[in-house]
Amino acid sequence: MTPIISAHGLTKRYGRTLAVDHIDLEIPPGRIVGLIGPNGAGKTTALKAILGLATYDGELSVLGKNPATQRAALMEDVCFIADVAVLPRWIRVSQLIEITERLHPGFKRERCMQYLAQTKVTTGQKVKQLSKGMVAQLHLALVMAIDAKLLVLDEPTLGLDIIYRKEFYTNLLNDYFDEERTILITTHQVEEVEHILTDLVFIRDGRIALESTMEEVQERYVELMAKPDKALEARQLHPIHERELFGRHIFLYDNVSRERLQGLGELHTPSVADLFVATMKGGQK
Amino acid sequence: MNRLLALVKREFWENKGAIRTTPLVIGGFYVVAVLMGVITMSHFDADGYTTRMAIEELGKMSSDVRETVLYEGGLASSVFFTIVMSFVVFFYLLGALFDDRKDRSILFWKSLPASDTLTIASKLLTAMVLIPLSFLAALILTHIVIGLILSVTIAVSGGNPWTLLIAETSPLKVWGMIAVSWFAHSIWALPLYGWLLLVSAFAPRVPLLFATLPPLIFSVLQGWIEFLQSFTLRGNLGSLIKDWFFNTPAILTAEVGDGHAGPALGVPLAGDFDHAVTLGNMLDRLFSLQMLVGLLVAAVFLAGALWFRRRATEG
Repeated sequence: MTPIISAHGLTKRYGRTLAVDHIDLEIPPGRIVGLIGPNGAGKTTALKAILGLATYDGELSVLGKNPATQRAALMEDVCFIADVAVLPRWIRVSQLIEITERLHPGFKRERCMQYLAQTKVTTGQKVKQLSKGMVAQLHLALVMAIDAKLLVLDEPTLGLDIIYRKEFYTNLLNDYFDEERTILITTHQVEEVEHILTDLVFIRDGRIALESTMEEVQERYVELMAKPDKALEARQLHPIHERELFGRHIFLYDNVSRERLQGLGELHTPSVADLFVATMKGGQK
Repeated sequence: MNRLLALVKREFWENKGAIRTTPLVIGGFYVVAVLMGVITMSHFDADGYTTRMAIEELGKMSSDVRETVLYEGGLASSVFFTIVMSFVVFFYLLGALFDDRKDRSILFWKSLPASDTLTIASKLLTAMVLIPLSFLAALILTHIVIGLILSVTIAVSGGNPWTLLIAETSPLKVWGMIAVSWFAHSIWALPLYGWLLLVSAFAPRVPLLFATLPPLIFSVLQGWIEFLQSFTLRGNLGSLIKDWFFNTPAILTAEVGDGHAGPALGVPLAGDFDHAVTLGNMLDRLFSLQMLVGLLVAAVFLAGALWFRRRATEG
């Protein structure tokens, strides 16, 4: 299968700093990829390059197109939500639907109206009259009504309350995602997306720190909550991270068999958030 | 083409107040002024005697005189529209590539399959065609309403509005002349429009200052350093801008020529163009060497605007 996104040596320089530092990345179709990194790691910069919103060095192909020179053509098959509240505030909902319909060959008005019917948004309203959560619902309704191959979400739920956030991802998963579509998400709220992701990409200082499917993650990594007297023994098995919780030591292992750890305490599959913290800290030693 | 029109429509939605309401308000001013005149007249002339006398006098005039007065009055009534329209276009273009950068909605617009070239084309088309068309529609409406008011006034006072007024007007000629002058002005003003879009695309804030200060400072400096003048095409930038403004093919002022005052193209100070309102004089400007240079300048500015627009989402 040809990859949806294929990057080789993707680099972005701002003056002397390298925001993105020779990234190689392949994303096949039908995946939900979480691009996760601390602030300033280069996530948004990488996304901008993918979306044709910024120049870059290196090779990059999205759906077989060059984003730097073919943005308009690329946007026929790519949708993106770059955080909430980027919809123009002066526009009416009906006008927003009309302009999207006229510019986007893959837009289905009926589908958009169906999604909107489930919200409090009405077509006569102006965007500035809507709450932040309603704007996010509106934007998602527009995007879900477009028959796109790649959906890019950059902090799509930033500043929304928990109800809207849950609903956002539920709708996305139930009504939108299928084997042909690919979703690329960046977010700080890792806990919220970890159960919907199929792939994980950690990015730090402009480089990829981890690239793996969720299955691989579950096989490779194991978290041990060590019995108090076994902490020393556990430490000798080269955990990649150690933390303390209520006086108990929790170790994270990469590629250490579960059998070896069995007797030392309780074993868990680590959460993406814990794995993230471990990976980020680990590399700094 | 369909996409371009969709984008122009979007410009209209965003700037409805400036594009549609403003010219209607100006038309309203004209109508109110005429109504006030008629009411004031009837107040002091309760038995209608003076009005009747005036209309009788009007009837004694030669048809040619009435025709000329109505024709030139029609042209002259466009001046206020032209001036306000210039301001509307000026501020529209200054904000055209700036406002969506400021409120970040550029990220939404760039998520739609419309190229930056098409976007800039839609803004230019709005400034050059849509806004003049809207002002023209309001102007025509204003003329019709005022014509009706005057016709009724004449009829009530026992005159025949057809022979005295309507038959003497040549509305298509007046509207056609104004329309051509406005579209000629759109082309004439391309260097300015290009400059405004360029500023709109790059100014980090307050595009008005970025648009006006550099040419102002440059002009002042140039005027100050006499030495520079010997290198320039024709005088300094300040006088170049002055010439450009004074020679516009839009009907802007009156000129006294062959014994009577009438509407004139631009401001008849500089000598290199004829300022009488004729199609020939409008076209003269568009096929001049200055216009050619102006178009090149406009092309450079527009290319600059596109360059900045492409990079507006960096960083």
